[in-house]
Amino acid sequence: MSSRQVETSGFGAFAGPVLRDGGKFTFEIAAHHLNADDRLHGGMMMTLASIVLGDVAREAANEKQPGARVNPLSLNCDFVSAGEKGETIEGRAEVTRATRTVLFISGELRAGSRILMTATGVYSIKAAEEK
Amino acid sequence: MRTPLPSPRDVAAPDGWRVSALHDPFEAHVGPLFERDAEEGARIFGFIVDERHVNGEGEVHEGMMLTFADAFLGGAANRAAEGKGCVTLSMQASFLKPARIGDLVECHTRLERKTRAIIFVSGRLSAGGEDLVTVTSLWKVLGER
Repeated sequence: MSSRQVETSGFGAFAGPVLRDGGKFTFEIAAHHLNADDRLHGGMMMTLASIVLGDVAREAANEKQPGARVNPLSLNCDFVSAGEKGETIEGRAEVTRATRTVLFISGELRAGSRILMTATGVYSIKAAEEK
Repeated sequence: MRTPLPSPRDVAAPDGWRVSALHDPFEAHVGPLFERDAEEGARIFGFIVDERHVNGEGEVHEGMMLTFADAFLGGAANRAAEGKGCVTLSMQASFLKPARIGDLVECHTRLERKTRAIIFVSGRLSAGGEDLVTVTSLWKVLGER
């Protein structure tokens, strides 16, 4: 399977790019993603988590209701370890539970075998015609 | 004092606000960010939403809201730790309402509790007096136990 860019416009593209190949998301840490201590900025780490969890939520919603959109209701992020410049971050997420209107998503970010972040999110599902 | 990092876009500070001095490359990348002093010594932070910050539906991306929150809740933790370095341990956000291009989003922070090693900070992001995002966070003071 070949990789494609997730979120090709707006903030996801401006902060990214984040690539997806099947269930695996990848992102490379560049100089502008860092904090003042030369580590991956916490805001960028949460942005990555929101892109990974959001894309898995969108996919799950669309499998059931084509054209459906998702909106984040909550996001919880734990900062387990720091990311360094030049590292490739790998993200994965899965659906914990899907109801007709709400999705529970859980995921993690890693650099090799080291976990950087664990995250859970709750998303609302909006049908295509709903605003 | 270190020289603040430039932001890729020039945005004038709204009346009564000044440009925040940013030293984190990623904050400069999404900036400029603004600040103003409120009553009782509190400091309020802000940014003006432009097309860099939104998702495909024209609403501010949650990643931008969390970056903005992380920057200034971290500042509050750092002040509470009397300048010692602090790292984020955990952050929880509830997204109440979206913001759109042109909105001035403000961040109000509140120190909830401080121990020697751990600091609890909450935050409220709002625009035009309406709450958009509420955040709670947990910070580790480096070198303390």
